[in-house]
Amino acid sequence: MNLLTALARFLVFPGLLFAIPAAWFVLWLERKSVALLQQRIGPPFGQPFFDFVKLMGKSTPQRPGVNGIMMRAWPLIAVSASAGAVGLLPVLPLHGGFQGDLILLLALMEIPAICMIVAGFSSRSLFGEIGSAREATLLVSYNLVFLLAAVSIAVSQHSFRLESLAGAPATWWRYLGLIAILICLPAKLHVNPFSLPNAEQEIYSGPMVEYAGFELALWQLSHGLEWIAGVGLVATLAIPPSSHVWLDIAGVLGLGLILVLVISIIAAATARIAIDTTVRFYWQCTIAFAVVAISATLLMRLRS
Amino acid sequence: MKILGLLWKNLRSGVATLRFPAAPPMTSNYRGLVQFDPARCTGCAMCRFRCTARAITFTAAGKQFTWAYNPGQCTFCGRCVDGCKDHALSQDSNCPPIYVSAGSLRTSYTLQRKTPPPKTQPAPAPANNPSGETL
Repeated sequence: MNLLTALARFLVFPGLLFAIPAAWFVLWLERKSVALLQQRIGPPFGQPFFDFVKLMGKSTPQRPGVNGIMMRAWPLIAVSASAGAVGLLPVLPLHGGFQGDLILLLALMEIPAICMIVAGFSSRSLFGEIGSAREATLLVSYNLVFLLAAVSIAVSQHSFRLESLAGAPATWWRYLGLIAILICLPAKLHVNPFSLPNAEQEIYSGPMVEYAGFELALWQLSHGLEWIAGVGLVATLAIPPSSHVWLDIAGVLGLGLILVLVISIIAAATARIAIDTTVRFYWQCTIAFAVVAISATLLMRLRS
Repeated sequence: MKILGLLWKNLRSGVATLRFPAAPPMTSNYRGLVQFDPARCTGCAMCRFRCTARAITFTAAGKQFTWAYNPGQCTFCGRCVDGCKDHALSQDSNCPPIYVSAGSLRTSYTLQRKTPPPKTQPAPAPANNPSGETL
């Protein structure tokens, strides 16, 4: 990947120019679909964009005793990391990528959650601290499954390069790993039943409680970009490669929309569960998918 | 899995939220806006006394009095209606209208004080009743 390609991927497609409107669209789609499933009207089209513009115009109140530079830095880092993760998605085959970019993508996808944890503790708010503690526990619980599943997919193709993973023919073991990643996505995106770090009714959005204006707008944008990165990763690895680039792109976008709707339906159908139940769900139930996927992949590799 | 069936049913039945100015149907005993009948009011101010939300104000000056009602402060508890012996107050059974400026639903009446109707006297006790108790 040369510098021009890297810049085009980061700034144009699938980077910022595509990802930011797509993030607003996905946030709207999630809210609208949940509303329709609950017989509500839901937000009008473009509401996340209007929310962003409105928040950008608001001033941030003074927070005595809180380090303002740090509080401003966390959402900026989160947005940058999420945008970087989206830029690494292999939506366009044969147009870049490098050996080990899967590891970089996974690392970039973790940074917003870590920023949220630190932001909650930096805010010196009781609700922020509770939310951050919950987020840290959630991170530990689902990441075991998430990373094992990602590694199983990489090992199955003998590569940590996203482009070669997306271009290789899909196997059943890869789909098993993708299912495990898909189960982790609601927790990664803080939607029901794993919305306990930013529970609005219990802890007033947890780590976000002290944020307003420009900084809150960045957090919301970061959340939308996380949606694009998470759903995009599953969609790019699940769609088998074809001879037409536009067909691949349409397939990734179509599957991405279906995944957003599936996660929204799960969010509408479930209630928020406690943190110990969440840990038990991932460490006792879901880990079976990841363990089977990586064990089978390693066995297949030993046989070949 | 019943929840998925419920969500599918919700999706098929459409949006339940009513768009303005549509309003949901009210029940028969719905307690809406307090209606005032100036022809019946004698100005006893019992409604002002019973209104804990201070939605009813009453000012008397000589033989005149002013009765005012601010629905913006009203909790629609109905205590004023219950306490009105002259039946000058009632409650509307429709949903209160939506208003955009504070105090736009406020009503005020300036009336002449009336003499309350005489209380009916109990019937005189029969002469052959030694205890004097009425039945």
